[in-house]
Formats: sequence, C-alpha cells, structure tokens
Amino acid sequence: MRPPVMVLRTDGTNCDVETAYAFEAAGGAPRLVHVNQLRAGREKLTDYRVLVIPGGFSYGDDVHSGKILAVELTSFLREEIESFVAAGGLVLGICNGFQVLVRTGLLPFGEVGPIRATLMVNDSARFECRWVRLRVEESPCVFTRGAAGRVVTFQAAHGEGKFFTDPATLNKIERQGLVVFRYVDAAGRPTQQYPDNPNGSLGAIAGITDPTGRIMGLMPHPERNILPHHHPNWRRLRSSYPDGRFVFENAVAAARKS
Amino acid sequence: MLQEVRVGFLPELKDSRGEEILYEIRHALGIRSVNRIRTVKVYRFEGISAEAARFLAERLLCEDVFQEYRLNAPLVTDADRLVEVAYRPGVMNPEAGSLLKAAADLGIAGLRAADSSMEYAFYGGLGDEELELILRRLLVNETIQHVVTEKPKTLLLGGEPGRTEIIPIREMTDEELLGLSRDRLFLNLEEMRLIQQHFRELGRDPTDAEVEVLAQTWSEHCVHKTFKARIIVDGVEKKPFLTRLREATARVARKDLVLSAFVDNSGVMAFYEGWALCGKVETHNAPSAIEPYGGAATGSGGVFRDIMGTGQGAKVIASTDIFCFAPPDTPAAAVPPGCLHPHYLLRRVVAGVRDYGNRMGIPTNNGSVHFHPDFRAKPTVIVGAYGLIPAAQAQKGWPVPGDAVVVVGGRTGRDGIHGATFSSAAMTDRTQSVNAQAVQIGHPIEEKRMADALLVARDEGLIRAITDCGAGGFASAVGEMGAETGARIYLDRAPVKYSGLAPWEILLSESQERMVAAVAPENLPRFFEICREHNVEATVLGEFTATGRFEAYYGDEKVLDLTMDFLHHGLPQRLLTCSYRDPAPQEDPDVPLPQDWEETCCRVLAHLNVCSKEPIVRVYDHGVQGTNALPPYGGVRGDGPNDAVVLTPLLGKPYGMIIAHGLNPVLNRIDPYWGGLWAATEAVANAVAVGANPEELVLIDNFIWPVPEGEFLAQLDRAVDACVDFSVALGLPFISGKDSLSSTYRGRGTVIHIPPVLCVSVFGRVPDVGKTVSADLKEPGSLLVLVGERREEEMGGSVYYDLHGALGKNIPRINLARLRETLGALHRAIGAGMVRACHDISEGGLLAALAEMCFGGELGAAIEIPAALRPDFFLFNETAGCFVVELEPEADPALLFAGLPCRVLGRTLAAPELRVLQSGRPLFAVPLERLRAAYCRPMKEVFGA
Repeated sequence: MRPPVMVLRTDGTNCDVETAYAFEAAGGAPRLVHVNQLRAGREKLTDYRVLVIPGGFSYGDDVHSGKILAVELTSFLREEIESFVAAGGLVLGICNGFQVLVRTGLLPFGEVGPIRATLMVNDSARFECRWVRLRVEESPCVFTRGAAGRVVTFQAAHGEGKFFTDPATLNKIERQGLVVFRYVDAAGRPTQQYPDNPNGSLGAIAGITDPTGRIMGLMPHPERNILPHHHPNWRRLRSSYPDGRFVFENAVAAARKS
Repeated sequence: MLQEVRVGFLPELKDSRGEEILYEIRHALGIRSVNRIRTVKVYRFEGISAEAARFLAERLLCEDVFQEYRLNAPLVTDADRLVEVAYRPGVMNPEAGSLLKAAADLGIAGLRAADSSMEYAFYGGLGDEELELILRRLLVNETIQHVVTEKPKTLLLGGEPGRTEIIPIREMTDEELLGLSRDRLFLNLEEMRLIQQHFRELGRDPTDAEVEVLAQTWSEHCVHKTFKARIIVDGVEKKPFLTRLREATARVARKDLVLSAFVDNSGVMAFYEGWALCGKVETHNAPSAIEPYGGAATGSGGVFRDIMGTGQGAKVIASTDIFCFAPPDTPAAAVPPGCLHPHYLLRRVVAGVRDYGNRMGIPTNNGSVHFHPDFRAKPTVIVGAYGLIPAAQAQKGWPVPGDAVVVVGGRTGRDGIHGATFSSAAMTDRTQSVNAQAVQIGHPIEEKRMADALLVARDEGLIRAITDCGAGGFASAVGEMGAETGARIYLDRAPVKYSGLAPWEILLSESQERMVAAVAPENLPRFFEICREHNVEATVLGEFTATGRFEAYYGDEKVLDLTMDFLHHGLPQRLLTCSYRDPAPQEDPDVPLPQDWEETCCRVLAHLNVCSKEPIVRVYDHGVQGTNALPPYGGVRGDGPNDAVVLTPLLGKPYGMIIAHGLNPVLNRIDPYWGGLWAATEAVANAVAVGANPEELVLIDNFIWPVPEGEFLAQLDRAVDACVDFSVALGLPFISGKDSLSSTYRGRGTVIHIPPVLCVSVFGRVPDVGKTVSADLKEPGSLLVLVGERREEEMGGSVYYDLHGALGKNIPRINLARLRETLGALHRAIGAGMVRACHDISEGGLLAALAEMCFGGELGAAIEIPAALRPDFFLFNETAGCFVVELEPEADPALLFAGLPCRVLGRTLAAPELRVLQSGRPLFAVPLERLRAAYCRPMKEVFGA
C-alpha cells in the first residue's frame, strides 16, 4: 500500500514538487493540495497519513517566515490538525514548513497555540545556500528511526533558520531528547562555528521532533539529496546511497504501520 | 485614526540586521561614530480599534520568545537618533496584502488598509552629515522610499480618475513636436512628424493614449529599429543585423532540435520524451541604475514571465545573472552626477536578484560579474531565465477573434510608466529625478501564485495564447497579441491598486506580475476557477476582434482607435550609415617579466574579473526544485567554481540541461569582432567543459551597446558579424536575442560610453548527466593537459596587462574551424569517461584555471612551461576555447586529442601547492592557501562574508 501523503502548498510554496517526488520515490502516494482546498473542505486531512509542509516563502514570509500560513492553519484548521495528529498521522515540516510548525506551536511540544521556540534571522543576516553536515541524534522521532549517530549532508537554504528559545524550554527539549539533527563540524562535533553552523542556532539545533516522534521539523532540505546526482560532489564520492532518502523511507514505513 | 505597532528584538539579543548595517556603515562609508544599531518594524493599521491592534500585535506581529512591542508608543527611547524609512505613498508594499489577509484570518473586521516600515535607532555621537550620508547611501532610495517625519493621517490613496486629453498635434511646429517627445515619448523628429501626418490624414487630433501607445510600440526597446534598419558600412550596404542573425539560424538550425526561434517570448529547443527547453536573456540596465534592488528584481520577474509566456506557458526552471559594474572601491567623486555608487549598486542588485529568484523558487545557478571603471555611469544587468514545456505546447499561440482578453495576476498602478521608452534613452544627470516612476519593487509571491495557476490552466488546455505584460503594459501585450486580428479593451475594467489613474496610464502602466492570456469563451469558467483557487485575480478586459484595429474604451469614452497596420507597420525602415574606425589604435605594452611570481599570481587571482564570486552565489538558492547536478561552486570545501550548470529538469530521469554564458567587455573596446568571437567561444567552451555536446546547443545574444551612432554603430556591425560567423562555423543557431542600445551617459559636460557588451548565453541537452564532469581535481598523480589552440603573445585586454595599466592591442583571435574540432574531441573524451576534471580558460588565464581546479580538489599541481615561451604569457594568456584537463596517469593525450593542439602540462600533487618549472628548473612555487586567500578576499570585503 502506498500511504497517501498531503504536500500542502499555498502562495509562495516552492519546494512542493521535489518534496512530493521524494515521497513518491520512497513508496508514498503524494498529492499536492492547496490550503484553499483544505479550507473549502474539498480535501480532508483524514484522507491522508502524512502531512508535509514543504519549503518556500509562504505568503512572502511577511511579518515572520511562515507566520501567515501558521496563523491561517491555527485559525481555520486547528481541530482537523489536532485530530489528525491524535489519530497517529505524521507531520513533516522542511525549512519554511519547520518555521510554520514552530509558529503553530506543533513543535516542540505538539500543542497548537503557544509559541515556545522560534526561528530567527540568521546570525549572518543573509539568506544562504550551502551544504551542511548534520548528525542524527537519539530521539523518539520516527523519521530518523535507526539512523542515530549517522552524519549526513543536506543543503541548507534559508535566511531565517536560527533556532532560538529561552533557557528553560531549551533545557526541556534536550531533557526529553527532542533534538533530531545538529549541525556538526568536519570531526562530527556539534558546532556554533560559521559556516558549519550556518545560522547560529542554539545548541547547533537543525531539526526537532515533538514528544510522540511523529511531528518533525528541520531547516536543511533532505529532499535535495535523494538522487545519485544530488550531492554537490557525487563525482568524487564512492557511495551511491543518497543521504536524504532515509527520511522519506522511514516516513512511508511508519505511515504504513500506523 | 491609525494604530501603530512597533516590534523589535528583545534588547539583550543580537539584532543581526542592525549589525549588518553597522558593518556597512563602517566598511562602505568609513563612519566610526556609530556603535550600535537597533531595528524596529513599524506597522500601521487603518480602520480598527486599539484593542484590535493589540490583538494583532500579540497574535501576529510579535513573538515574545525573542521580541517586544509597543502600541501607539515608541519602542526605543534611549537612542541618539531614530529614523523611520517607509515606502512612498503609491509604491506598493508587498507586505500590506499579507497583513490584511492574516488580520481577516484572525477575525479582525473593519481593517481598511495596512502598511509597514522600518525604524533605525542609532547609538553613538554621529553628526547630521554622517546621518545624511548613511540614509542617502544605504538606507533610503529616494525613488521609492522616504524618511517619515510625521505620522501619516491615512494610508488610503485616492483621487478622481484622470481625464483623457486631446493632443493638438496637427498644428504643432517641429519645436513643439520635440518638446512633446522629450522626457515623455523619446521619439525623434522624423517619427513625430509621421504621427502628425497620420492624424492630419485622419482629420483629427490624437488622444494622449494614442500618442503614448505609438511611442511605446515604436520605441527602440520594443521594435528594435536599429537591428531592423538597412545599414551602410564604409559605403557598402549590408543586410539588417536581425536579418543576418536569422539567416544564419535558418542555415544551421536542425529541425529536430530547434522548435521555435526568435518568434516567441523565448527560444525553444527539443529535450527528451516529448519535452522542450526554452531560454530568454534580458537586460534591465536603466531601471537598475536608478533603483538597483527594484530594477534587478523586476528584471528577474520580467524574464521569468517571458518563459511563462512562451508557447501556451512554460515552467521556469533556472535563472542566470550577469552583471557589469565599476569597481566597488571607486572613489565617490568619480561617480557621475545622477548615478549611484557601484558598491551600493552591486549589493543592491544582488539582493534584488536574490529575493525575486529565491521567493519564486527558481534556482539561480549560473552567472558572472565583471568590473570596469567605465560602468560607473550605468551598470549592465543581464538576467536570464530558462523553462521546461511540453513540446506540443511550445509553439507561439495566436488569438482567434472572439477570444477573451484576460488579464491575470497583479493589479495595475502608476508604476513603471514609460519604462519602454525610458530604457531606450541614454542616461543623463536628470534621469534619476525625471524618470523615477519607471521603476518599482517586485512582488515575487504574486508572480509565483500566478505561475502555479497558469501551469494548471495550461495542462488543461485552457490557454490559446499568452504573453507577459512587460514594457508597455497592456498596450504592448494586447497590441502584439492582436496584431493579426484586432482587439478591443475596456480600461475601466482593469483592477487597479488605487483610484486616480488616467486611462492612458492604465494602458501603459508597467506594473509587474501581470500577464495577458487569450482564452476561448467556453474555457473562461474553468480558467477563473483555477485562478480563484490559487488566490490569483483574473479579469476579462475585452476581446480579440477581426477589425484590424486596436481600440480602447474608458466607460463610454473611446480613448484609443488605431489601425494595427499603422501601429505595427507605420514606422518606416531606417537607413543607417557609419564607418569603422579602430577603437583602440594603441600598441601592445612592453611588459617586464615578473620579479615576484607569488605576488603576481596573487594579484591576478585577486583581480576583480578573476576573484571568487562565491559570496554572491551563496545568497542565491541554487538547489530549489531538486534539479541541480553540478553546483556553481563545488569540490572538497565547496569553493571551486564550475564552468556551467547541469540540471535534471525531469526528476528521476538522467537527462541533463546545461546552461552557460560568455562575455568580455574589455575585448570589445579593442576589437568588437574578435571580442565578439571570444564571448561566443567562451560561452560554448564553458558548456562543453562540463560535458555538453557541442552539436546540441543553442545560443542567445545580448548586445548592450552605447547609443549606436557613428563609430559605435560600425562596431556593433562587427559584433553582429562575429555572431553570424560563429554560428555558421560551429553550426550552432541563435534562437533568441535582445539588444539594448543606450549605454551612453550624457551629463553636464561629460559623455561616457559604457564599454560595449556582447553576452552570449548557451543552453543544450545531454542524455545522461552521469557523463558530465566538474572542475575540481580528483586524484594526486593525474596527468594535466592543456587542450586548444592559442598564440601566447595574444595578450591584449588581459587581466595581466591590466595589472600593468595597459589595454594592449593583440587580442586572442580564435580559429573557429579548429575550435569546432577541439570541442568535439573534448566532448568525446568526457563522454567516454576519460576526463577526471576539466576547466575552461578565461580571465586570469591558465594559472587562474589551474588554481581554481586545485582549490576544488584540495590538491596541488606541478607544471612545466616550454623553454621557448615567455612564462608570464604562457600562464596568463586568456584565449577562450582552451581547457585544462585532468586525465588518468597512464592516459595518452595524443590519442585522445589526435591532430589537435594539446600539450602535457604536468601532474597533480597531494601537496597543496602550485609548482611551476621551466627548462627543468623551478621557476616558482606558491602555497595554495596564499592563492586561495587572494582569490577570496575582494568579494568577502564587499559582502562581509
């Protein structure tokens, strides 16, 4: 069975096609769904097993990145999303999608409403597109099951990706093991050093999960490293398994089971 | 009353934007008296209560994790200076729409208008003059922005609709005709007289709309008078430039490869499995000169719409950007009056391209930046776009009488009025104040959702024809689409940003993000449904007719009634005369051999036309769409440049699209013919260096020339001949092109001719991206080979001569027959998997190419220069069409490149240094780190990366 995957799009979404392709290649059945279709009730979350909010500049990232879409989702689709999550649905936010999830409150603690953490403007104050090294952390996250300890290379492409929160919340995130990806240096150690940590994220945090492990958000783009020619140095490398694939394969596997 | 909300970072947190501005104030302006800057976002709302504004502040505007806000009160009270910068009334703020939407989503009723702006709080004892300089140079572009000195009373712009005026042209004297033309129509006296004559024959005077439409349609920008003119060079009549280019294309274009050339908004070539690729390259020099951010952004937006307006609509899959500026350290006093400083221009143009492409989700992955002091009067800003389209929908569409004229996308405002006519004019010291309305800021999200909707409509077969509302607005789009049939439109139906527009302004407005589609009446309901679902506004403006007339109404009033025949064929073919004069009669300089080789190599690598542009490339998203198979910079540390981009537009398929370009304005100053050949060769060599098939490429020309009078016209003639000769000799067709012939600056007492630019862009296809190569060296011990014909003493126009303050005379003269063989052999070697790395030689010569390969591979190299040759010329000659190739240690280059000029240079080394020998003796050795530091420094300084 190919589990149905909703790739949510709206004005300014721009990583929807390749994200859908990544799910397709991993055995899912993705569909691009405009938020207007959801609001009008022509599409229903309950018909899907995975909700993905892909990268882009939803509504131009006006006010804050991902904010206008987050307001729209919490204003009109709050209950639908809450029951989707309660029923075991998976939620993935990549880049702009991560910003949206944090601004709906779904991350880090899975509660729609209060905003506990944020993604601020990069320390460099610039949009930057570069390949970064990430270490997969031990966490309850289903998207990274079996991958803890692995170091992967994804492309980061954002201007507002600095993970930030207050010390108490950070402590809670760490204590509950909700960090999924950290930026690491060439030796594999988490780093605050630019450009290995491209934005100055607290604790070198690049991606987090909620306590159930079924909601994940990350800034770098796993969907940009799922084909043999994606890695910037594929001509130098010996390995042929693209680093980003496991995220989508895990998602499809988990969606099949749930 | 307006409600004001101010939002800023918590004072204990780093304000990155403030620090960025502080860096610029210190580095670009040299001002040290400021020690901290806080930035505050100001939001204003009209029509809601203070309570509602507080609700918005807490739910939408401010996140208390890292921010604080104040309602109707200042946020910063302890700064030494506080300045608010806002868009001028009437300039569209893209954020306003989002504020209205989010407020509605949150259930706030009654909100009539919203706006946002920035407040800058300066700490430190800066004086009035310093503050003035900071504002003028960095924070305020007076064309679109202003410093807010008092709180506005309303955000609503209003006004009575302007009226249509009758222009009494029949009675005008020549002087009066010229007065009408100046600053408004930009037509010459002969053309003005033709219009006068036409209306005398009709027995009536024209409306303002009619003369404006004629001026627009007849502008150099739209009709390319020079390129269509008969031309006499040195007493000999030659075919018009455009005819020559098209005839060359007709001669060499393969029917199975070229699907559409020169007739549509972009040129189209076949791809694989029923798909096609299209490409278009545009310039946006004039708008970028006076408002670089908006000018560059809307340049990108415009060329993307050219792709979207090809056939029945293509998907934009790549963007390129090529700029020419004066050096960023040009003294302020050297910048002519009415022109902006190149440091500011460079940063703002990059930001404009960045924000438009990134937000649209178009990977920007090929480009270059060139510097020459004579660009100080006007930069050259070239933006390209490429698309993917089903081959079955790739032919230009033509409306059928009865089809609806549908305007899709953004609303019409007063923006960009006179853009087409303005861009055809030379810059003067009055340009900035008189033509301010010709630029605007872009709204990429508006264009993105329009693109999304149009692709759905295309796939359902709902679009008969589509075109961009570019220069000239509705006048140009509808006038061109209806040229063979006729069209009638009702201007009062056009959705407008604010009231008060005169009918002619609606007709001519160049508001961005609008397109015009011809839709059959039975398809309208579904077309509108798709648009609604994507939040895109679409309106039936009128219909295509069979009258052969272009008619426009405003309510009951007829404001425009011209025959399509007079509009499109009323302008007689020009006859131009010129004679060629050697533009650079000087001789080659007498240059001594370098004393300090390391220093010389570092200076070459740090030359602005050689140095790394990575800090620019990093702000462009080049990975979006998941198609990139060769990044602009790659290698171990990601800092080794590649020659071209390789994309896989069909995800999961091995088919590759390759895009590259070439230009060298300095060479055109010396000899526009050989300079032109160099540019075209460089473009194709870049593509073939990564693995392109030299038999399956197509070309795009961009001529950016001084006003083509006298000697400049004769030089242009030679550049066109170069393109034609190249096309025929290589068997590669030009399929799209553009000329902008206004690179002349006339100030009070100064005339500056901006260096002539011929930019050749190239794109093509390969069946398997697995058979493409990168430039980074792969293994120690490999064989390094120089492939391609060159004469080392042809050093004219080189970076090396420039270091000696000389231009030189003898520029590389490329042997086209030899080039074609070389490219073929190289392609076969790459296709056979024999080539580990390959890099094309251009500015900075062999040394720069080899150094870049070493950076990428984190490997060194040892090479030997033949005893008989001057080592400096050997290392720094810039002949295009030559390559440094890394082969397996046991490879036999004489076999691979049999019969072609080819020389073993040496070997790659594990040790990170460059060793150069001559006659068996070491000439010099340089650590890679020194070269890399020199190579990276210049742009790091400009961009603070």
